[in-house]
Amino acid sequence: MASVPKIEVGSDYKEKYGFFVPEDYIFKAKRGLNEEIVKEISWMKGEPEWMTKFRLRSLEIFRKKPMPNWGADLSVIDFENIFYYLKASDKQSKTWEELPPDIKATYDRLGVPEAERKFLAGVSAQYESEVVYHSLQENLSKQGVIFLDTDSALREHPELFKEYFGTVIPPADNKFSALNSAVWSGGSFIYVPKGVRVEVPLQAYFRINAENMGQFERTLIICDEGSFVHYIEGCTAPIYTTDSLHSAVVEIIVKKGARCRYTTIQNWSTNVFNLVTKRAMAYADATMEWVDGNLGSQITMKYPSVYLMEPGAKGDVLSVAFAGKGQHQDAGGKMIHVAPNTTSTITSKSISKGGGRTSYRGHIKIYPGANNCKSFVKCDALLLDDDSRSDTYPYNDVDAENVTLGHEATVSKVSDEQLFYLMSRGIARAEAETMIVNGFIEPFTKELPLEYAVELNRLIQLEMEGSVG
Amino acid sequence: MALSVETLDQLQGEPAWLRERREAAFATFEKLPSPSKTDEEWRRTDVRGFDPAKYSRLEHLDGHKLVLPSALPKGVILKPLRQAAKEHPELVEPRLFSLVHADRDRFAALHAAFFTGGTFLYVPDGVVIDQPVIGQHFSHEGGTSVLPHTLIVAGKNSKFDYLDEYIAERDDESGYRSGSTEIFLGDGAQVGYVGVQKWGRNVWHFADQLAELQKDSSLKLFNVTLGGKFSKTRVEASLAGEGSNAELKAIYFASGDQFFDFHTLQDHRVGNTRSDLLFKGALQDVARTVYAGLIKIEKHAARSDAYQANRNLVLSDKAKATSIPMLEIDNNDVRCTHGATVGPVDPEHMFYLRSRGIPEPTAKRMLIQGFFGDVLDRIPFEHARKLVEAELESRLG
Repeated sequence: MASVPKIEVGSDYKEKYGFFVPEDYIFKAKRGLNEEIVKEISWMKGEPEWMTKFRLRSLEIFRKKPMPNWGADLSVIDFENIFYYLKASDKQSKTWEELPPDIKATYDRLGVPEAERKFLAGVSAQYESEVVYHSLQENLSKQGVIFLDTDSALREHPELFKEYFGTVIPPADNKFSALNSAVWSGGSFIYVPKGVRVEVPLQAYFRINAENMGQFERTLIICDEGSFVHYIEGCTAPIYTTDSLHSAVVEIIVKKGARCRYTTIQNWSTNVFNLVTKRAMAYADATMEWVDGNLGSQITMKYPSVYLMEPGAKGDVLSVAFAGKGQHQDAGGKMIHVAPNTTSTITSKSISKGGGRTSYRGHIKIYPGANNCKSFVKCDALLLDDDSRSDTYPYNDVDAENVTLGHEATVSKVSDEQLFYLMSRGIARAEAETMIVNGFIEPFTKELPLEYAVELNRLIQLEMEGSVG
Repeated sequence: MALSVETLDQLQGEPAWLRERREAAFATFEKLPSPSKTDEEWRRTDVRGFDPAKYSRLEHLDGHKLVLPSALPKGVILKPLRQAAKEHPELVEPRLFSLVHADRDRFAALHAAFFTGGTFLYVPDGVVIDQPVIGQHFSHEGGTSVLPHTLIVAGKNSKFDYLDEYIAERDDESGYRSGSTEIFLGDGAQVGYVGVQKWGRNVWHFADQLAELQKDSSLKLFNVTLGGKFSKTRVEASLAGEGSNAELKAIYFASGDQFFDFHTLQDHRVGNTRSDLLFKGALQDVARTVYAGLIKIEKHAARSDAYQANRNLVLSDKAKATSIPMLEIDNNDVRCTHGATVGPVDPEHMFYLRSRGIPEPTAKRMLIQGFFGDVLDRIPFEHARKLVEAELESRLG
């Protein structure tokens, strides 16, 4: 028979994580995309006119842009078969107790409350397309920090919002940023005032839970001069029967002397297309760090980038990708050196198993006049079996004087010597392999807050167990 | 006069099969579109200024000089390619343009349609030539097309070295130049190949240096690129037999407004194969270079070992280097490493030399020589090494 074999993606998700909550929506838009739907989304949200116009303009751009002809195969995406806006509950919850019980049940299994008990300053947990749960620690508001879902931010801080929104990633940047700009909903908005250091990481959990539903969250972070913030997004999703699209846009502005760290653990179910545009602008002596872990999804295309705009800016990408059966992780990073005396590093670790494919795709660009820049890229790939595949596509463009640019990559399997060593000490093969994989991504795990490191190790363990037999 | 099928009439006395092949290649050329900025391979390489119609006069049909070792062993065939096509069709016909495909792009098609001279070298099984064979390709005047093609067939367990030298009589000549090479290595063959491209500074140059390696064969290929205002070179090794080993090295020195583009491929089609690539280049003035290389390990090519490195020494703030070393690995039992660097002369090295009283220009020259030193040592035979060293010396001034 000539039919394509059905890939059993994440069929054990239910047992593993046990979250699948029946759909119960207040408003459910129609499938597909046209002006009417975009206007309806904007109207539903009660947005100002400039935003409605922005959305409609973006829709035009989205229609004109061709699909990318590189990277993963995206031809199966049917834009007409997607819900572009869903609202789970029409009112925002202020406290944990007010959350609808089925949403709480899902979060319980994800471990959100535990994390909250420990240190949460504010949780912006996204169920469906909108932030439904929001708590902000008091001293944060005293410091003048704004941490809202993006829709509320547009209502409550219109001037600040308008000043920065869409300035880092314009709608015309690529097809999927145009799509997001047209139909965006939810996401986080953070403003950290001058000199304020937010000592505890700010977190948001994203969830998608309706068939064929796209999530188009939009995050905007502004770190004013000399400030610091660490933002964490973690995603998990239950299983669906048909493909689902996630296309977020994350814009970050890091002003003079500020530092921003953005941590992601992406664990979408393995039928989600994860096509995300993430970009930061770093000004004089500012530091931007992307810590990006991609474990789930069927296809991920995500290249967090830093534009180094003024002297002394520093960019950092630490990326981990894990591709199992039927998955393609096309991840990497981009560093655009616009100003002299800027530095950047990209470290990528990827693991492929069970026929999965990981690709590192990166771009280092050093513009004319951006002299005395330093950039270093290191990619390591681990192939756990001979069905899997690993690619490396680094683009390095140097246009300036006195620039030091280095790129290194290795691809290997789990070393026989290491396995032999562990097994000779009585450790079973599967366990030994898991240990080696965990060791391989250690530079990444050690950058995560403890809860996330534990969760990541557990996820790797679960993924590795699947490989036995 | 534009390039046309009539242009082919300048190439008299060829067998019918070759004429047909040329006409087919020309038809392919006319059919294929010009590469655009959206083609990944041509994104950074601008060929809009190249108008082959300007160079419809084919120069130098068989006019290259073969420097032969004093005595060629019995059975070795060494002839101008067009003559060999007539006299040894059974050896030439099945191989000519079987690695360099005319339909790969417009420029490969153009070369296949109008190649003018070049060498055919056939070394029978078990034959060893202990002195290098040298083919010198000259261009005497500007405004013409000079398109030599080298076809090398190395029999089983044969062993020899070959040097292609592309020489311009006038350094400022313009025109259209190529210099493609196909090398077939039989089981256990050991071939050293050096191509030194010294065409004039105003020519358009396109070349494909491609080799196919059978079981346990070993190729040491060395490319030197110095000439042309535009030079695009593809160097590819197809490792088709177990135990084969390809060493691909290159040096380039781009100055003035020269633009060099290199595409390389290490295609590991079977297991237990090895490839080692090192491309080193220096750029000064407003020169630009693009290096894009791929290591491909195919599904069943287990226990392959591949290495790929591109190092660029940027000597001016207006020069621009792009480096894209890529990997596509489909088997886990392999060892693949690659690296790329782009950087200036190390200021600490400079400081060391200056503190010993060496003037800056001299110190800079010494550091450039040092940069090229390790790869020059890898040139497979003495004659070519001396030639390249002298050439670099004169360009460093």
